[in-house]
Amino acid sequence: MGEVHDRIVITNDTKFLGFVREFMSRMIRQSNLSRDTENRIILAVDEAVANIIEHAYENQREGTIDIEVEADSKRFMCTIRDSGKKFQPDTVHDPSIPEHIKAKKKKGLGIFLMRQIMDEVRYTFREGIQNELVLVKYIGEKPAPQP
Amino acid sequence: MAEFNIQQQKLKNGVAFVAVQGFLDAHTFEEMEKTINDLFDNGTYRLVVDLSKLDYISSAGAGVFIGAIGTAQENDGNIVLMRPSPNVKEVFDLLGLSQIFPFANDVEGAQKLFT
Repeated sequence: MGEVHDRIVITNDTKFLGFVREFMSRMIRQSNLSRDTENRIILAVDEAVANIIEHAYENQREGTIDIEVEADSKRFMCTIRDSGKKFQPDTVHDPSIPEHIKAKKKKGLGIFLMRQIMDEVRYTFREGIQNELVLVKYIGEKPAPQP
Repeated sequence: MAEFNIQQQKLKNGVAFVAVQGFLDAHTFEEMEKTINDLFDNGTYRLVVDLSKLDYISSAGAGVFIGAIGTAQENDGNIVLMRPSPNVKEVFDLLGLSQIFPFANDVEGAQKLFT
């Protein structure tokens, strides 16, 4: 129990976010993750996919988003790949909610939520190939950082 | 899965009651935004939003309320959130919104927050 490996591919349309959430719910329930983390992990992946749909493909260009889950007894990992434009989440600072409210700003909270929820948020861009976003949640004790 | 649905009715003292059902995400937030903007356009800035039948909210959904509360407050109003489900409350907590938005357990309690 707890070994999970599956993937889905969607086109870049927000109407498929419900399908992504259902897939993630199934993966989480098959894994060793605690059920009380289900809503949060689904949210982190929903935020990642919604960001790609909004930012990666310009001019309504159709593209695909590949969502792969691999989990074992120690970690739950979701890898999200797309072929859209380069995106640098590392340059996005955590928002100030009072500033957001003052500026009547509605967006820019997805990466903050991903960082809040997941133990690792890693992004890689391979020129001409794809963006790859890896979200990891450790099950049980978090491993010590590498020197 | 509950279909996304918004219902509204007028309460006393110029308060609008808005009940949201289903999933408020990057696919559905524009409908919520339009509902609130229409109320503002009609001069209604006191909103009670019933979240008890909202199964899920993402940052796109929460962003609608974040973007609107300033306008409501500038016009002697507010956005009172009523009975969020645990999943929805969790997202408000993660975003730090539980200290910013007023919450109520029922319409009477919400009405009192406007006086």
